[in-house]
This record gives sequence, structure tokens and C-alpha cells, in this order.
Amino acid sequence: MHKIADVEIQHDIMVANKKLAQRNQRILDKANVFSVDVLGAIGSGKTSLIEFLIKKFDEKVGVIAGDVISKFDAGRFQQYNIPVVGLNTGKECHLDAHLVEHAMEDMPLEDIDLLFIENVGNLICPVDFDLGSHMRMVVISVSEGDDTVEKHPLIFKDADLVVINKIDIADAVDVDAEKMVNDVKCLNPDVKVIKSSLKIGDGLNEIINAIKGFRDSIS
Amino acid sequence: MHELSMANAIVKTVLDVAEKNQAEEILDVTIEIGKLTMLNPEQLRFLLDVLKEDTLLEGAEIIIEEIPVEIKCRACGYTGSTTLDDSDHYLMIVKCPDCDERNLEILSGQECNVKNIRVEKPD
Repeated sequence: MHKIADVEIQHDIMVANKKLAQRNQRILDKANVFSVDVLGAIGSGKTSLIEFLIKKFDEKVGVIAGDVISKFDAGRFQQYNIPVVGLNTGKECHLDAHLVEHAMEDMPLEDIDLLFIENVGNLICPVDFDLGSHMRMVVISVSEGDDTVEKHPLIFKDADLVVINKIDIADAVDVDAEKMVNDVKCLNPDVKVIKSSLKIGDGLNEIINAIKGFRDSIS
Repeated sequence: MHELSMANAIVKTVLDVAEKNQAEEILDVTIEIGKLTMLNPEQLRFLLDVLKEDTLLEGAEIIIEEIPVEIKCRACGYTGSTTLDDSDHYLMIVKCPDCDERNLEILSGQECNVKNIRVEKPD
């Protein structure tokens, strides 16, 4: 004889990721490492900005370079003789807390003070996955168009710092960078928004100060 | 395309529970998806249909329920549903329907919950 049974599961996959993320953060806290999740579109300048920050921060920096094929970005970071873990996501469009947990196992946390986690270039999928970092920095560039923020609101809603990069070419691509700033402020009134250019050096010290300020505010 | 990783996680969760309950067949699965997640229910359903082949889930009906967005206004304290417009994702999280304040906390709408299954099992 057979019977039909209702089996309650109530397993939220987002919550499961969140719990892993919290565990990642506890591991980072124990090692006194401040961590920044760097999110943004493909080609917005995430890798170049992290390279700049590696050179400018006095603290010992490590990088987890996440990408569909991570060896390109990881190779760029390795030239600075810092700990780098390349994290291949393969077919996946985002990092999640589980992948980062494994990458952290290969990162000598006791030897670093600051960990950048470069997410996969994507303004959509990473939104759903907290990694356990202390800070979320979203990097977009004017070349993505000044409606980028309106089209991808959620990633800006929870950001702790937003960088609008490549402002030196705003006129050339006919984009109003100020509109992008206002759109972010509309979604996230208290967030710091910095217009920057790695080419002409605009806003870069502000980015460093914003990361330091955020770290100090939570420590 | 993170529907695929989510679909894999859902299938694994369901098959684990079914096995623990000695299920011989899974009749249906109910999944709750928050309206603010970056998951497209139709893509998710398609992938679940592919992944369930040759498993206990093969004949199961996939039921997807939507969890609406609920916000709390940090200014006036309003708690509840927000402005909804399917053509504009932006409106839901942009302002309080009571006082127009923009500083909002999202209370619900970000879930991907495997709620329950109905199974056939021996007495």
C-alpha cells in the first residue's frame, strides 16, 4: 500500500548563501582582514581600479579574482607580488559565498589586512549573493550609458560605495555623469558616489578615503 | 544565468528530502520566488524540467509561487507593500507609498524558498 504525504521543506537557498556569507565574515574578522566586494559591469574598470588601490594602500592587500576565466585578471594582480587567488566560475555569472569560502582557504589571511574580491562583470546576478565582505563597492563607467543605474536599481540599493568611472570620456559618449549620480542617490540616499577617471586621476584619492572611512566606521 | 545554479540547488534539496522520507515518487514541488530576486521564473521552470529527467522528480509538477515585495520606510515607519509596476522594476524600491521617502529597507521579496513537496511513499 502507498500513501500520499506532504513534506514541509522550507529551505531558502538565499538564506543558505547568507549563512555561509556570515561565516566568511567571521573568518575575516578573526584574521583582522577588511574585505571589499568589487562589483560592476564588464569593462567598467574594476580590475584597473583594484590595481591602482593595490599600489596606493599601505596595508598588505590580497585579491580574489573571480571571473568566468579568472587567469587574465589574476595574472594582472600577480605582478604586484601580492597573494592572489583566481576563482574560475565557469558557466556562472556571479560569485557566491561558497566559492569565496573555498578561495579564502587558499588565501593567507594572516598575511594581509585588506582583501579585494573582484566579482564577475555583471550588474544583475551578483545582487542575489552576499559574499561575506564588509563593504560592497559598485564600479560603473559612463560608457555604459546614463540610464545604467535606472536599468539595474537593485545593485545600487545595497551598495556602500558607488564609483562612476571613465568620466574623462563622458562628453565623447554623450553621457550626463551627473544624472548617474542623481539616479544612485535616488535609490540609496546615504551612499557615497564618486566620479572618477584612472586616466586623468580624478576622484581616486576620494575612493581611497571612502574605503578607509567605511572601514573605520564599522571597526 | 544563475537560474541554472539555483535549479541545481533546488533539485538537490528536493531529492535529499525525498530520499530521507522514502518517497517512491514526487507528485509536486512548491517553490517560492521573491519578486525582487534576479530569477526569471520561466527560465527557472525550464531548467527544472531539464534537470528533473531520470530522477524521482521526473513526473512532478513544479509550482512556482511569487513572494511580493514588502518594505519598511526608515522615515515614517510604514511597513507593507510598495508601488508595483511590472514594467518598471525601479519603482518598487524607490519610494515609500505613504511619505515618498527614499530611504527604505526591503523586508521581503528576495527569497528562493523550496517550500514543500508532495510525495507517494509506502505505508
